[in-house]
Amino acid sequence: MSLVRALLTAGRSALAERGGVAAIRPFSRALAQPVRITFVDKDGSEVPVDAPVGKSLLEVAHENDIELEGACDGSLACSTCHLILDEVSFKKLKAPEDEELDMLDLAFDLRKTSRLGCQVKVSPELAGMRCQLPAGTNDMQQQ
Amino acid sequence: MYSSAPRRAAAAAGARHFSASAPAPTARAAALASALRDGPSLDDFAAGAASGGGAACATPAAPRKKAPRERLPEWLRVERPGGEDYTRIRKQMRSLKLATVCEEARCPNIGECWGGEKGTATATIMVMGDTCTRGCRFCNVKTSRTPPPLDPNEPLATAQAIASWDIDYVVITSVDRDDQPDHGAGHLAQVIRTVKELKPSLMLECLSPDFGGDLSRVALVATAGLNVFAHNLETVERLTPTVRDRRATYRQSLAVLTGARALAPEVVTKTSLMLGCGETAAEVRQTMRDALSAGVEIITFGQYLQPSKRHMAVSRMLPPSEYENWREEGMAMGFKYVASGPLVRSSYKAGEVFLEAFAKEKAEQAKAARALGEGKAAAARGGARQASAAAAAQL
Repeated sequence: MSLVRALLTAGRSALAERGGVAAIRPFSRALAQPVRITFVDKDGSEVPVDAPVGKSLLEVAHENDIELEGACDGSLACSTCHLILDEVSFKKLKAPEDEELDMLDLAFDLRKTSRLGCQVKVSPELAGMRCQLPAGTNDMQQQ
Repeated sequence: MYSSAPRRAAAAAGARHFSASAPAPTARAAALASALRDGPSLDDFAAGAASGGGAACATPAAPRKKAPRERLPEWLRVERPGGEDYTRIRKQMRSLKLATVCEEARCPNIGECWGGEKGTATATIMVMGDTCTRGCRFCNVKTSRTPPPLDPNEPLATAQAIASWDIDYVVITSVDRDDQPDHGAGHLAQVIRTVKELKPSLMLECLSPDFGGDLSRVALVATAGLNVFAHNLETVERLTPTVRDRRATYRQSLAVLTGARALAPEVVTKTSLMLGCGETAAEVRQTMRDALSAGVEIITFGQYLQPSKRHMAVSRMLPPSEYENWREEGMAMGFKYVASGPLVRSSYKAGEVFLEAFAKEKAEQAKAARALGEGKAAAARGGARQASAAAAAQL
């Protein structure tokens, strides 16, 4: 442990000698890399996108013209940003709050790996995540 | 050794490889050169195969087939808003810091209503802020669990603004404020009372929230002195859970309308439906019957239009002829007035003149009936109204 710390300290001071913030940039640049995730549209077509760390899946979808509704602006008042995630990514996420679960319960085509897009923030560990848009929001077309 | 951490991280992210051993531009340039040499080429991009490494491209790797965006049918195209009245009202709204649902909900009629002929400009003022606690799928108004607090000066500011216009009819609507103890009922009632105080001759319609179905709150608003109490059913019963916020229900809204009718018999009640959300004609008919049973006298039909990509898609665009059919059917069913058309909205100006006449006539009739002395029933009704008005005034 102390060896690692010594190395890091040496590294940091060495970096600092070489030009301060500009030299430290490699660390933060690595952390700020966009994360590659894939949205799968209702018709099955795949849309790989580069998602900035910290944004919600709903924001990322909107920025990439994915047709995901967000009726309540992410305030946990609806379930229109419902996404079905792949199991691996789903397990990496922190468990949803009760409020999210309440709204998720009302979502159409609910699965074990369902989450609300507005509540999931992009992080580097989610690279490779697949987000499936559910088949529909309800039986709207029933005639 | 200190370089291994960033290099590992960079490699893991599949990004450009840095040489951490020297800060000199030449080393970085060399690294860049090698990345350019070894990375995706123009051909890879053109073929859609350039997907290696997150930092390489900032857009989706493959070109996307987007569903062609349908153009609005001819009958839905509107002119861009402009003109003296429109500009004057817009300026006034800003200077008085008033929010209009016309702007917040992106109503297509804004130019027509604000720039109305012969100075008949009508605006629908939205009080209690521009942020709603609910998130209905058809509505463009902002949503938040904790909107900014209510402004205690709002009733007076609103009343002063409205009184300064040369209009005969004003519609006051609000967002839902489930965050307030009384859901904002007291505040809304105060707005209505103050407007009427400053301009008693003004016909006033209030498009009211459901206040969670609490009839004592509905009473506050319905008996505050307005002429028309409106509350929108929005859609048929089957679609309500998916179209409206979960806190709104079909039965609850019917109860609000029934309650308003009972609490304020002289007030005209009104409701509105959006068409094109996926409803069937039979369902629309049933909704109309339900509204009639609730004592509703005025109903409006309008085409649901998707306010933005973040909202529910339109299920069907009904042609003007179908709206005309609904108008005829509604009149035949027994509604006192039906406003129906693709661009008709709850407070669209089309019915205003009639509503004015109708509401005035009703008030006159009621006055005459009281004067004739209908007996204890009239006295009891009057007493009940006074009692509820007094209770409301205490708030």
